[in-house]
Amino acid sequence: MAAVVRLQGVEKSFGAQRAVSALDLVVPAGETCGLIGPSGAGKTTSIRLIMSILFPDAGSIEVLGHSSALDAKDRIGYLPEERGVYRKMRVDAFLRFLGGLKGMPEAEILPRAGELLEKLGLKDVGSKKCEDLSKGMTQRVQFVASILHRPELLILDEPFSGLDPVSVRLLKGVISEERRRGTTILFSTHVMAQAEELCDRVVMIHQGSKVLDESMSALRRRFDPTRVLFEPLDPAANLDVLRSLPGVLSMRAVEGGVELHIAEGTDPVAVIRAAADRVAPARVEIARIRLDDVFVGMVGADAAQSAALRQNLQGLSGEKA
Amino acid sequence: MNTLRRIRLVAGREFLVTVSSKGFLFGVLIMPVIMGVLLSVIPKLLNQSGVAMQVEVGLIDRSSLLAQPLREELQPAAITARREASRREAAERTAPGAGDVRNPLPVPILPSFTIKSLPADANLDPHKTWLKDANIGKTNRRALVVVPVDAVTRAQGQETYAKYEVYAPRNLPQDAEGILHNALRQVLITERLRGSGFDPAIVKAATTNPSTATQLVTAGGRQGAAQGLNRALPFIMGILLFMGVMIGGQSMMTSTVEEKSSRVVEVLLAAASPLELMWGKLLGQLGVGLVSMGVYVILGLLALLQFSMVGLIDPMLIVWLVVFFLISYLMYGALMLSIGAAVNQIADAQSLMGPVMVLLIVPYALSPIIGRAPDSAIAVAASFIPPVNAFAMLARIASSSPPPLWQVLLSVLAGVAGSWVAVWFAAKIFRIGLLMHGKPPGFGTLIKWARMS
Repeated sequence: MAAVVRLQGVEKSFGAQRAVSALDLVVPAGETCGLIGPSGAGKTTSIRLIMSILFPDAGSIEVLGHSSALDAKDRIGYLPEERGVYRKMRVDAFLRFLGGLKGMPEAEILPRAGELLEKLGLKDVGSKKCEDLSKGMTQRVQFVASILHRPELLILDEPFSGLDPVSVRLLKGVISEERRRGTTILFSTHVMAQAEELCDRVVMIHQGSKVLDESMSALRRRFDPTRVLFEPLDPAANLDVLRSLPGVLSMRAVEGGVELHIAEGTDPVAVIRAAADRVAPARVEIARIRLDDVFVGMVGADAAQSAALRQNLQGLSGEKA
Repeated sequence: MNTLRRIRLVAGREFLVTVSSKGFLFGVLIMPVIMGVLLSVIPKLLNQSGVAMQVEVGLIDRSSLLAQPLREELQPAAITARREASRREAAERTAPGAGDVRNPLPVPILPSFTIKSLPADANLDPHKTWLKDANIGKTNRRALVVVPVDAVTRAQGQETYAKYEVYAPRNLPQDAEGILHNALRQVLITERLRGSGFDPAIVKAATTNPSTATQLVTAGGRQGAAQGLNRALPFIMGILLFMGVMIGGQSMMTSTVEEKSSRVVEVLLAAASPLELMWGKLLGQLGVGLVSMGVYVILGLLALLQFSMVGLIDPMLIVWLVVFFLISYLMYGALMLSIGAAVNQIADAQSLMGPVMVLLIVPYALSPIIGRAPDSAIAVAASFIPPVNAFAMLARIASSSPPPLWQVLLSVLAGVAGSWVAVWFAAKIFRIGLLMHGKPPGFGTLIKWARMS
């Protein structure tokens, strides 16, 4: 598969601060790639470098076969993290302006915009002024602007931040549709759950450097389900009996219940059955791979640092829908 | 091809949004129209609503010479003739050598006067009560004039004549009061001349000149009327240039700052290159500047049409106005654009705007001076030094002594070079400034940015 985005040894500093260092990144055509990492990791800078809004100090960038995204602007859809609208403009005029800039034929813009607005629950806002929209509505309009011209490559910088759950669901729907259409998607987020849900592959960035670049399926295999989450119906129930179940190596308390670490090769379903026999469960499940755990595992050799990171990530995860 | 299309789109948006904003509509289009309408309609309204007043003048003339002459001077024909003479005099003072200028204003409704001669030795006080009598008609007014003998014949050993006195109640209209004083002055001068043995008719003829227009003899052998108006032209050109540059430049700066503060700029940068954006904005606001300047030029020409003086404007002057507007707009506009791109809010732009404003106001303020001395060393030098060259050269072209064509072309060349440098500088700042947030930079930082990229 041809690479749509290819970065090699890209470096970028602002004064003394190194924002991106030795970044290699390949996004093959048709893939949905998540760029994840805590705030300030260098995600936005990397994306701006890919968009040729910033220029690297060293290294090479190739986008859609061009050495600069400037040459392929019309084939890229971009939702920046710092996104705005012309407050005094009408929504349809704003979209027509941006569609025109992206090289769309005049006659196609408004029908396509209307269709997308409707999909995102924004029927009839075309005649409103941008300043009259709520924040969530504005953000959906901006998203429409980024996919209006049916781009081959869609770059979304924190597309869900600040959105209400309904908007998030609508947006995810349209992103999945774009994905089915074959669009290559690169999006950044600090909310790991969104990456887990949407990505074929995740690239983790920490302090400007790439610390992980792996497909979700490989990650799932690598971090085999060796943990079972158990929440008792009665919060006061004695859970110590679970520790002695066959195959259970250890147990630790988590919020609302316990997490059982089971030996490799043990059938987790058997453990679940046995556990439910002993204590009445409110919820019992095979723990899914959690990217923030992976992330902390990758970078958190130092306990203090990992605690701070976990806090950062979980604080941010609190935002997730 | 796509680049042109994007520039056109950005320019079109800039132009439409600015021109359709309320601020522009009021400030640039509606205000002058309202003013023009008021200026042309109000005098007519005032005149039409006027009611003919009847003024009865009680005359205590101690010399017993003035009653009949005063009656004659207060006839409508005499009043109109005096008015016309003094208007012409005023016109010649403001625009000497402009020739006879038609009065654009309609003839006002004049009050009519009747003289009530009172005994020459009458006592003043009872007649003051007569003045205060309120039981006269609504359109009737009264005034009382007392002329001492010394006002007509000079008292022995005195250098000047004595003065007359006029008494009137508060409701005597101002125009009637003025007419009465003028007539009295005229009558007194005539009687004094006659008393001293001169023929007033000869004196009048000797002290009056018909208005003369200076005949211009130009190098091309063309003869035309020298125009008093021409003295004001360099200044008017300066105002037009200043206005066009300010309106276009200022709204360009504002729109750039807005794009930055509303964070729409990164969305734009994903669709158009900084250069395309910059040229789009420059061209769009150029249109705005041209429209606003055009409005004033057309209004000015309409005003001249009223005085049937349009023929006095050389069409080439308007061509040069447009040429030099383009030059100075690009120069100052590019500077204002880079300021807009460098700061995050309008308030931060003010400190950076200071030096640009000085560069803009000084030549504008100098343009009438340059127009008066168009061949002075400073005027000639200034017309080749960007960014002030446009103002200086335009003032010289509009002046009574236009420069030779080669100088004009050289000035255009200097201007084009200056604009090129300014746009180059702006392009550098624009590219870096657009995504800069935080502390607003000073001029030093701007220059550093220009060197950096």
